[in-house]
Amino acid sequence: MRLLVVEDDPDLNRQLVTALGDAGYAVDTATDGEEGHFLGDTEPYDAVILDIGLPVMDGVSVLENWRRDGRKMPVLILTARDRWSDKVAGFDAGADDYVAKPFHMEEVLARVRALLRRASGNASSEMTCGELALDTSSARVTVNGGAIKLTSLEFRLLSYMMHHKGKVISRTELVEHLYDQDFDRDSNTIEVFVGRLRKKLGIDVLKTVRGLGYCLSEPDDQS
Amino acid sequence: MISRSSLAFRLIAAASVVSVVLLIAAGILLSTLFTAAVERSLDARLQAVMDGLLASVELEKEVPKINNVLADTRFEIPLAGWYWQISSLDGDPTRQVASASLLDERLPLTQFKQPGRRPGNRMSGYLKDQSGNTLRVIEQRFTLFGSKEQYSFLVAGNFDELQTEVSAFNNALIAVLGLLGVGLVAAILLQVRYGLRPLSDLQGELSEIREGEQEGIAGSYPDEIQTVTDELNLLLKSNTEVIERARTQVGNLAHALKTPLSVLTNEAGIHGGTLGTKVSEQAGVMRDQVSMYLDRARRAARAKTIGSSTDASDVVKSIVRTLERIHVDRKISVKSSYDTDIRFRGERQDLEEMVGNLLDNAFKWTNGRVAVGVRPSTSPIDKRIAWIDVCVEDNGPGLPDGGAAIAMERGKRLDETKPGSGLGLSIVSETAAMYGGKLFLDRSDLGGLRAVLTLPAARRGDG
Repeated sequence: MRLLVVEDDPDLNRQLVTALGDAGYAVDTATDGEEGHFLGDTEPYDAVILDIGLPVMDGVSVLENWRRDGRKMPVLILTARDRWSDKVAGFDAGADDYVAKPFHMEEVLARVRALLRRASGNASSEMTCGELALDTSSARVTVNGGAIKLTSLEFRLLSYMMHHKGKVISRTELVEHLYDQDFDRDSNTIEVFVGRLRKKLGIDVLKTVRGLGYCLSEPDDQS
Repeated sequence: MISRSSLAFRLIAAASVVSVVLLIAAGILLSTLFTAAVERSLDARLQAVMDGLLASVELEKEVPKINNVLADTRFEIPLAGWYWQISSLDGDPTRQVASASLLDERLPLTQFKQPGRRPGNRMSGYLKDQSGNTLRVIEQRFTLFGSKEQYSFLVAGNFDELQTEVSAFNNALIAVLGLLGVGLVAAILLQVRYGLRPLSDLQGELSEIREGEQEGIAGSYPDEIQTVTDELNLLLKSNTEVIERARTQVGNLAHALKTPLSVLTNEAGIHGGTLGTKVSEQAGVMRDQVSMYLDRARRAARAKTIGSSTDASDVVKSIVRTLERIHVDRKISVKSSYDTDIRFRGERQDLEEMVGNLLDNAFKWTNGRVAVGVRPSTSPIDKRIAWIDVCVEDNGPGLPDGGAAIAMERGKRLDETKPGSGLGLSIVSETAAMYGGKLFLDRSDLGGLRAVLTLPAARRGDG
């Protein structure tokens, strides 16, 4: 899962990046509206955390531009101004949720999880695929109830596949959603990670679709 | 009534005093002139009589005799006040002749005996006769043919008869001048009232500004006052600007503090320990202070917002739309009924905060069903003006019996398990009260809370 944080306060920006990184997301960051708009317009993010009071271009305009250009990723807005007119303006511009400043980091994490879950059409924080279960709120992965220990990148990969269960995901797409923009991308490493993940899970849920990519589906589905 | 310290009193008193003095002076002058004119015309008549006497007098051994009786019969009515008399200067009673009306009386010549008087010079004056009539007398001396001596010719007319004429004139004069005086005072009153009316208009506008019904002095005034009102408007404007600037800066400061507060809270949360706990605690205090002062600044900003109007359905719809997006995964069904053209007489932001808080509560507590309605009020608070009802219902747990009053108390929360500052309902009822409106809480047919917000309506096209 790859996120974009657009926040002009360097400390808050760093805290958000750290907290989201710790929670297993790949995070890109921008400190003004123009840069944020450009990134959101060109990179495929799974969710965006967008401050409303931004220099150069304010958050609402950034959001409006994204929506007008057909960018549909879920957007969580951060706002110091918590009047209803501000909220209405934010939501009318296309926001999916908001957090009023000052906030606790846990709240932002919970809202981001909820947004991602909602975007993938899951009702609860626990997603399952046969015997495999992934709880987004606790970042726990279990197979038949037994906990599996994953590295951050493995978790990210599995989480992305779980959020897009049953869909064929190309290697390029995986690379785009697992690494932040500064990472030296090499799609061959994906194969290595997929191999390791299969070994750790021990069940055959992550299948290779030749020439296209990977697909996460329950073992029974396979014909 | 006009107070003694008023400008109107000064103007009226000064003008009245001047008018009365002038009128009295004019009255005296006119009366004097009229009396003089009456005297002159009487003198002319008496002179004619004297000329007649002179033409018909003859001396008979130094004794004057009249040949022809005068045509004027008034000189024959006894003691009627019309007399003539010709006498020698020595006062010898045998050398005198007088009109029949004088009977045996003779008029005294004492006041006409002046040394160095040239013969032929006419003199005039007043005398009293036996029966108390005031007489106008003219006297002239002539040397008659056949004598070297001078004789005094005296003709008297009844001045009292003319006096009635004079008094009639004076009465008429007093009446006319009195009427003129009253008219003048009335005119002054009218003039002062008319002249000073812009001042009372101005006072009315100023009090409307003080009560927040008007933002500046709008009417046009006479040039002298217009300069003052222009200055006042500039003063008001700069005052508003100063307040607005201060308010904006308070808002900006408060909002600017929110980001560093987030940073502090989160940093403290990461590091933990006694310092972390202390910082978290103090950051919490700061956060509460910031929201309190923001709330206060918003309240103060509301004071001048009377006179605007807001489409109530529009506000409710936009907030429902927002909340539906926030709670999209809870699948809340919203039943709404909006009457068209329902306008709230007040600021949009206030309606948003009130309705927002009510709807936020409903969405927070509901078990899946929310009903919202905007319509003309069925139980108006004051029947003289129109009211609107914004009704919000949910099927959540509702309030326990007697909970309504507590819920509307400032900072009170009946349930600590869901997030919120606890200011929601108290802010709603306080804001409603500022507009003279009211918040009613009871149990909804859906099972949860029903909140009915009654607010003053604006006429169509207001604001």
